Amino acid sequence: MLPRSLAAALLLSLPAAASPPAATEPWWSLLPIPSPAPLTSNPVDHFIRAALAPTHPAPPADPRTLIRRLSYDLTGLPPSHTETTAFIAAFNTNPDAATAALADRLLASPQYGERWARHWLDAVHYGDTHGYDKDQPRPNAWPYRDYVIRALNSDKPYARFVSEQLAGDVLFPDSRDGIEALGFISAGPWDLIGHAEVPEDKTDGKIARHLDRDDMVTNAMSTFTSLTVHCAQCHDHKFDPVSAEDYYSLQAVFAAVDRADRPYDADPATAAKRRTLLTEESSLKSREASLIAPALPRGADSLTALDKLIADARQPAASLAAQAGFHAAISDSQASPKWVQIDLARPTAFTTTILHPCHDDFAGIGDGFGFPPRFKVEASNDPDFKKDIVTIADHSAADFPNPKITAVSFKSKTTARFVRVTATTLAHRQKDYIFALAELEILDAAGQNLAAGAAVSSLDSVEAAPRWLRSNLTDRWYPGADAATLAAPPVSIANLEKARLLIVESLIGPAAAAELTTTRSHLAEITSKLNALPPPSRVYCGTVHNGSGTFTGTGPNGGKPRPIHVLSRGDVRRPGPPAPPGAILAVKSLPGRFSIPPDAPEGARRAALANWITDPANPLTWRSIVNRVWQHHFGRGLVDTPGDFGRMGGLPSHPALLDWLAADFRDHGGSLKRLHRLLVTSHTYRQSSSHFNPDAASSDPENRLLWRMNRRKLEAESIRDSLLAVSGLLNPTMGGPAFQDFVVLHPEHSPHYEYQLADLANPALHRRSIYRFLVRSKPQPWMATLDCADPSLLVDRRTQTITPLQALAQLNNQLTFVAASNFATSLDALPGSLSDKVREAFHRSLQRDPSPDELATTAAYANTHGLANTCRVLLNLNEFNFAD
Amino acid sequence: MHLSRRSLLQSFPGIALASLLARENSPALPFPQHPPRAKRVVQLFMAGAASHLDLFDFKPELIKRHGQPSDFGEPVEAFQNGLGPWLRPVWDFKPYGQSGKMLGEPVSALGPVVDDLAFIHNMVGKTGVHSQGTLLQTTGFNRPGFPSAGAWVSYGLGSMNENLPAFVVLPDHRGLASNGTKNWDAAFLPAQHQGTIIYPGTETPVADLFPDKRASFVSPQSEADAHRLMAALNHTHAASRPGDDRLDARIRSYELAARMQLAAPDALDFSKEPAAIREMYGIRDDKREWPKDINDAEEIDIFGRKCLAARRLLERGVRFVQIWSGNDNGFPRRNWDSHEDVERDHGPLARGFAHGAAALIKDLKQRGLLDDTLILWTTEFGRMPSTQGGKGRDHNPFCFTNWLTGGGIRGGVTHGLSDEFGYKPLDRHNPTEVYDVHATILHLLGINHEQLTFRAGGVDRRLTDVHGHVIRNLLA
Repeated sequence: MLPRSLAAALLLSLPAAASPPAATEPWWSLLPIPSPAPLTSNPVDHFIRAALAPTHPAPPADPRTLIRRLSYDLTGLPPSHTETTAFIAAFNTNPDAATAALADRLLASPQYGERWARHWLDAVHYGDTHGYDKDQPRPNAWPYRDYVIRALNSDKPYARFVSEQLAGDVLFPDSRDGIEALGFISAGPWDLIGHAEVPEDKTDGKIARHLDRDDMVTNAMSTFTSLTVHCAQCHDHKFDPVSAEDYYSLQAVFAAVDRADRPYDADPATAAKRRTLLTEESSLKSREASLIAPALPRGADSLTALDKLIADARQPAASLAAQAGFHAAISDSQASPKWVQIDLARPTAFTTTILHPCHDDFAGIGDGFGFPPRFKVEASNDPDFKKDIVTIADHSAADFPNPKITAVSFKSKTTARFVRVTATTLAHRQKDYIFALAELEILDAAGQNLAAGAAVSSLDSVEAAPRWLRSNLTDRWYPGADAATLAAPPVSIANLEKARLLIVESLIGPAAAAELTTTRSHLAEITSKLNALPPPSRVYCGTVHNGSGTFTGTGPNGGKPRPIHVLSRGDVRRPGPPAPPGAILAVKSLPGRFSIPPDAPEGARRAALANWITDPANPLTWRSIVNRVWQHHFGRGLVDTPGDFGRMGGLPSHPALLDWLAADFRDHGGSLKRLHRLLVTSHTYRQSSSHFNPDAASSDPENRLLWRMNRRKLEAESIRDSLLAVSGLLNPTMGGPAFQDFVVLHPEHSPHYEYQLADLANPALHRRSIYRFLVRSKPQPWMATLDCADPSLLVDRRTQTITPLQALAQLNNQLTFVAASNFATSLDALPGSLSDKVREAFHRSLQRDPSPDELATTAAYANTHGLANTCRVLLNLNEFNFAD
Repeated sequence: MHLSRRSLLQSFPGIALASLLARENSPALPFPQHPPRAKRVVQLFMAGAASHLDLFDFKPELIKRHGQPSDFGEPVEAFQNGLGPWLRPVWDFKPYGQSGKMLGEPVSALGPVVDDLAFIHNMVGKTGVHSQGTLLQTTGFNRPGFPSAGAWVSYGLGSMNENLPAFVVLPDHRGLASNGTKNWDAAFLPAQHQGTIIYPGTETPVADLFPDKRASFVSPQSEADAHRLMAALNHTHAASRPGDDRLDARIRSYELAARMQLAAPDALDFSKEPAAIREMYGIRDDKREWPKDINDAEEIDIFGRKCLAARRLLERGVRFVQIWSGNDNGFPRRNWDSHEDVERDHGPLARGFAHGAAALIKDLKQRGLLDDTLILWTTEFGRMPSTQGGKGRDHNPFCFTNWLTGGGIRGGVTHGLSDEFGYKPLDRHNPTEVYDVHATILHLLGINHEQLTFRAGGVDRRLTDVHGHVIRNLLA
């Protein structure tokens, strides 16, 4: 409920909004940003005080409050008691200088980037798993997180920061940041099943890819321009000047990219070397092609036929098909025999039985996966194998060495209708036992496989299509199966290529043939040099994906963007006119559609969007970022809907201040650190938050006019990091793969992220919260209870709640006890009385002396219940959990 | 003076003040808006997609055509291309109750209460992808980022007992379904509306309810004294910081936490239930070890425990209970995604939930609680009338079944029929969607589904998006 008085106060402070804007009038956020007038005082104080008058601002905060406020604000960590004491002394000499020096010190500390990267990752919904069904991990997402920390710590100009995240690969080639930044595009959730199990030509596959692009568009436009363009997906935006065509033009920008791992060289020298080698390789390859070219017309028929055979032999589908096989149901016991048999349809004479083992990386097993250590092979005309059994091989008495993927072949002249393989002892998997075979071949005297396509039956089977099926046992595919042999001529790929070369050489003549040989040996050298380079790093990012199977991406198509149409009511089954790449037309200062030739590489579209967003004439970008920074310092944005500057969003409480800051930020290199400094050294920021002005409180209870500073309830990350820091446990290691404060069960299928199984006493888990592994399907419950951002949502502002479940979490979680125990142990090691130790506990946790009363009560409690219980109390106090 | 959101917006038309209200932790309109027929909701969710054809939606045509090549009369895109021959219902169906409703054998436990149930046989989804289907039925959207129905109800109506959470989730103990906790998330609603996970019968049924067991230094006396010391220090702190009610709220949250430590175990203490009640729910106190293979007795026991916990929570004022049957789509199957073998998975799972649900309905009824408790049975989508080549059925997002019972529901009726194969709704132009089911539930709770809104990302979001009609046929 909003009191009328506040509404009135707001109206007074917002003259521009006094009359309802008609939809045709330009909206405030789309108007050009006026040039900033030169000011003699801090612009924050200038504008805030003008709006506040005649109310007086609150008195300045005391230095202990101020250092705690600034430390949490800029680094997310509490100051030490020593730092606090030193600051108080400096402040008492010269408050302005001391405050400026403190701001500089904190902005220069690496913890600044760790703190502010968290705000950015909230906004872009970064996570370390895909989300949706099966929620698989993204082991290579973290380089993007580290990129954000590094960019902030190095005060990267904002325009470059934005450009790298959309099109760093195009605009800044060969740079590490240019690739790692693309993790922005892939930051959000991804529907693995909708991509990997449903092809793009099915409706469900189209919907999955549409939703995927929608996420990319929404992320880009909300984060950088604070526009809710996603509302124009089914029809033109109901409130803002964004048409459905604008929306689909933005989808066209991302039409070629998917979310996938991308290899890159973090070291620019290696990147350059690799690029040189790849260039050489490509010119040698074209030389090779031109040498061969004359042969083509003359040898066309035979070469085309050979090429087709070679291509068939190499088709990507072969790999999965070759891996697939039969897999009996998983068993608890090794000695529970399982059988599988084939039916040759009638009694048939054969001479050889071949067992082809499987390959599967599960539990690191690899070759020979599921091959039984003891087994027998039998033939019979009785499908139940109760009578007339002919034994072909019997290895049930002693272990048979695992053949890896070498075929196991048995000769025996037999005539029978059924051939059965019985695993008398099953193969060990992890904690259970299995029996798997890739293929069973039965050859006649001529070497013809009689089993191909034969019916298969078995005691049981996991039947998990397409990987494990009974029918896979006779589908002719197995690891090492030469696809060429499955076509008519039984020739290997190597033989096919040799044949091809001979034909070519005979057609181009001896001189060209000699050069061809040299060229090919050069190519081999290049290949070996490329192989000798350090292996590339990988980052999970928005990229052209070159995949196989169902999730191919656009790579096989040369990275050509998918055609994007304006969809009627957002329905993929109702495509309208094609949408050209572009942004929105309502920003009048910039062209809303990009002039990009149709055959330009896809990256040109992303680069064009990056340029559109970072253009100094784009009024949204600069207002958006300064408002986000303002919000994190003052607790609420000048516009209190940081992701929505449209008509459904808030209006700026101080429009002139917002514009002044936006223009000044834009015109001074987009330096975030300069902006922070400007804000936190203002007197407005340095006001007390405890001051109470009854009149102001009743006319402006939400404190939009900043008649005092807002008290900050610490975020989940700051609470956790403070518990660790104050108790002496914080592990300051920066960067690298995330720590996992859970145990993964069932990783092979749908990983179960079990937080309650982690031991929080493990120092590896005591790094700052920014380095947590963020699981989408099951966010860390303790952090979630404390209002941590959800990586499935674009969080432009965290909701803040106070609940009994939070109290339980902070009182009873193992983390609290680990911290309290360590805190107490470190106090115990100090000399002095119990009172001295309690005083020290106040110093470390609250950065102040206890009052005599507080000391007496707390020491009495410590005397009865010990220091660990006392520390637990201090870590739960309101004072610990708020920054004044 | 307090203003409703609507009157405020009417006073200042066109002004973007609504955003100031958006972060209020409770909605601006007073709910319920009209006299409610129900105060509480139970949502039974069958993860993996339960087959309507083998349980509730009897199709004699499939018996007639069993084994014949399937012909849908139009091209069909099935998830795993499962368009094998027609497959008859795996079990026999028999009529039950006055309504003569046909039920498949595994859900025959619902026979005695079938006249209280109202069926919807023409439910349609959007896609055959589990994650999307599950989110659609739990949140009304087929992508993550939206609050669960339970969170909306908690947000709209609040709690009836501040010592317990308003929205409780009883997950399958073997793991979380597709999307994990997103299925009971508060998303952009304030976090207190998120479903609280409870595992009845475990040492810590609610996370962090009691001090971590590894902490040796906590005693009942140290706890009591700690609360006193904290309150004293917090009051001193708050006294010098006027005009910030969050400080008092946080002090109070510790008092409520202490009360929850008493209330939650009490609510979950089955030892206070008479043996006859435990037996009615199929709880086997004598049996703690179960065979490795999926089996009826175990499924009945585990689902029965969740149903009994639900009843005890509901009678203590919990607003919304979500009960899950089935975990993720892993192997061996412990969910309803029977691509390989309907009989193997659906049999025990169906007998399990049907036994527990029937007991819950009877028990609520005998306590007079069924009059104002609403129960919804749902799943992410249905299964195809054809086989996948063997004994399994592929996904069918084009048609599935829901049923409701309890406060305000007219029992014994069927709303919306499927076609002769259960492939699509009989009337393809008038299917029922999750929006309609949610609109109906909100209506029975006294809420107009178009008016329960929250501003997020520039949109006044609703549980029913821009859709939804109250299904009048189902109302008593």
